[in-house]
Amino acid sequence: MTYEEKLERFERHIDNGGKVEAEDWMPDDYRNGVLKFIEMHANSEIMGAIPEREQIPRAPSLKRKMSLTAKVQDEVGHAQLLYRVAEDLGKGRDAMYADLVNGKSKFHNVFHYPTKDWGDVALIGWLIDGAALVTQAALLDSSYAPYTRVLKRICAEEQLHLRHGEHITLELAAGTDEQRAMFQDALNRWWLAIIHFFGPRSNVEKDLLLKWKVKTRTNEDLRQEFLDRYVPKILELGFTIPKPTPYKDGDHWVINEDDIDWTPLDAIKRNDGPETARRLGLRKRIYDDHRWVRDALSAPTAHVA
Amino acid sequence: MFRRSGHKEPFEHAGAVIASDPEMALLMAKECFFRRREGDHLWVVARSDIHSLSDETLLEIAADKSYRFASDYRDVIEKRERALARAREIKGE
Repeated sequence: MTYEEKLERFERHIDNGGKVEAEDWMPDDYRNGVLKFIEMHANSEIMGAIPEREQIPRAPSLKRKMSLTAKVQDEVGHAQLLYRVAEDLGKGRDAMYADLVNGKSKFHNVFHYPTKDWGDVALIGWLIDGAALVTQAALLDSSYAPYTRVLKRICAEEQLHLRHGEHITLELAAGTDEQRAMFQDALNRWWLAIIHFFGPRSNVEKDLLLKWKVKTRTNEDLRQEFLDRYVPKILELGFTIPKPTPYKDGDHWVINEDDIDWTPLDAIKRNDGPETARRLGLRKRIYDDHRWVRDALSAPTAHVA
Repeated sequence: MFRRSGHKEPFEHAGAVIASDPEMALLMAKECFFRRREGDHLWVVARSDIHSLSDETLLEIAADKSYRFASDYRDVIEKRERALARAREIKGE
């Protein structure tokens, strides 16, 4: 079969809702596109653990400290599941770690920003996990089947994280003026980054991942779902949403695309965000410090008599 | 033998056969466990290649880790009521 015939058969399979397994034939652009996409997701899980990790010592009770630690552990676990899926597409885990710490690959914009206090933990746990869950749930029907199988577990755990984040948020919202101000301050600092999180409007003609149904929905569609779901909840708690401020249009809460300032995202795309260098440095240090653990685990089992 | 019922599902243990080699085991598994197209893929693994935990009690959770379960956050409903009441108080309603 010629390449063109294989490609045509592949595309017909995808158009009919068919799924792709790691061992199936796939065009190089599909393999590379899926690999890069899952690698970025994995990077984001492992880098996303760091901002919350920073706040573990500030937890207001032992219970909160244990639950936040467990959540950070879950996020790192998601990265491991995803790196494993990405590896089967042809790039070694060491190469992926190296590209991450050397700034050659990317991770999600929200993890390039500093955290300040416990208000940030509430906001990240509720709204950033909420945004991530909207995008991840949309991927459960991706054409790349091994990805959808790990996403099932990831989404189930994210659902718990969301509940955990909402629990913390509601505690602040029901609390003193200072506690409410903490959440409002976090919202003011994070809102634009959350809007950026979904990315700019998708280019439906050019986006091969959309064409091949690796992604099933556009960025703007996912952002809209997030706004419709969360804006009413934020407002009913008596918080104020900063710019770009959504407004009610029929059944939807919308943001004018012209009101979104994309400039902060440019530096992040170059891996030059406010916390990028420091967090990648930390990741590299942890990776280097733990080399002995990897070496010990990869050595043949020692049997002690 | 392990069977996958569709692309969204993991392989699951679905039965056992006795055969002289892997090829025969696949054929037997197909005849015995795929009569009604119960899945879209099939593995056979020699029982001697399966290693299992010697002590099932090792799977018990060592300490109270209730925060890993959604049931631990069930009071989110009352928390929301209190937060909404607080918001109404601030708005002067």
